[in-house]
Amino acid sequence: IFLLCFLVGYSAVALNHVIDFKEKKQEIIKPVSPSELFPTLPIVQGTSKRIKVLTRLTLVVSDPSHCNLLRSTSANIRLYDIIAVFPKTEKLFHIACTTLDVDLVCINVTEKLPFYFRRPPVNMAIDRGIYFELLYTPAIKDSTMRRYTISNAISLMQICKGKNIVISSAAERPLELRGPYDVANLGLLFGLSESEAKAAVSTNCRATMLHGETRKSACGVVYTVKKPRKVEEEESAVPACKKAKTQA
Amino acid sequence: MVRFKNRYVVCEVVSEDPRCRQCIEDRALGLAVRDAITRVHGDYGLACCSISFTVKYLNAYNGTVLLRCRKDSYRLLCSALPFVRYLESRAQRYPCFLNTLHVGGTIRTCQKFLIQYNRTQLLKLLQNCTNEEERQCIQKSLLSCSLTEEQSQSGDEEEDDGSE
Repeated sequence: IFLLCFLVGYSAVALNHVIDFKEKKQEIIKPVSPSELFPTLPIVQGTSKRIKVLTRLTLVVSDPSHCNLLRSTSANIRLYDIIAVFPKTEKLFHIACTTLDVDLVCINVTEKLPFYFRRPPVNMAIDRGIYFELLYTPAIKDSTMRRYTISNAISLMQICKGKNIVISSAAERPLELRGPYDVANLGLLFGLSESEAKAAVSTNCRATMLHGETRKSACGVVYTVKKPRKVEEEESAVPACKKAKTQA
Repeated sequence: MVRFKNRYVVCEVVSEDPRCRQCIEDRALGLAVRDAITRVHGDYGLACCSISFTVKYLNAYNGTVLLRCRKDSYRLLCSALPFVRYLESRAQRYPCFLNTLHVGGTIRTCQKFLIQYNRTQLLKLLQNCTNEEERQCIQKSLLSCSLTEEQSQSGDEEEDDGSE
């Protein structure tokens, strides 16, 4: 699949690992390091940089106790670049948008959503920098899933006004992949405007990657403020009438 | 001035099967695209898009396709292109997909885009090829692929090839 991605023109690809919590005990395994998969990463079409391969973890949560895993300091979670959560109930959606430390919230496209989106948690997620993710591969495969995809996507659009949306593919075979221009056109079908659809493929994805990086590295922010010493030197050059004003 | 404005969409047919590219026909491709539009947008979409819909240009070696449609309905066409899953010709189905490259208002702009795109593709092939003869072939075709107006650009490319 990856060779095709590179051919078509994507500059960063994320490998997804899905964890389902139906079984009792599940340990999060170490992600497969991308360098094990290919010895040399080919070059992106058009630029001279190499393709970035990121690792991504998706948690399918149907119970609030599963979320404790995210707060635990298990070392393996830190190794993943992007963390996504897939909530199944409304309470979990609310928790995911407000308090959980994730980068993406997956929106189910294969079934009719059991809950409606409400505005407060969606707005809080937008403020926190969490993006909502829509998958497009089921839409290509099956007609009924296409209907659910479009209806869920449009209801999401009506609440969040098209901000903070990422469109991605859950392709299992290389023929289910589509190029970036085509994916932006699919965004038009979902109800996005043209600039928003292009952003959903390019700038929002980059922001998600950066969000993942800051989550991995930064635990606090240090502000440095420059002391205004330079201003004193300039004041001596200022003419007398203006000086009076600044002193006052 | 009353003139029918068209949009020309440049696509590339990508497929895993190497035989697929040789058997592409314009009618089969047109049928596949119309079928996809019907599935996505229904009868209205098909009727809107097929006012002036033709496959203008087809290159079986590259897999490059140029489609024409009306300016009012090119959005319907573009949003339905990702849904093309296979090409059917001579009772055989070839799974493939179309990769949209560029949308232009005239054939000339599409041609300019294609020239640039083919140039970058040739450069990529240059890096991947292992045979010395193939390398020389590709370099020769790179140097001669520009339009006659762009003589200076081919001069710059010569220097680039030398530095590589």
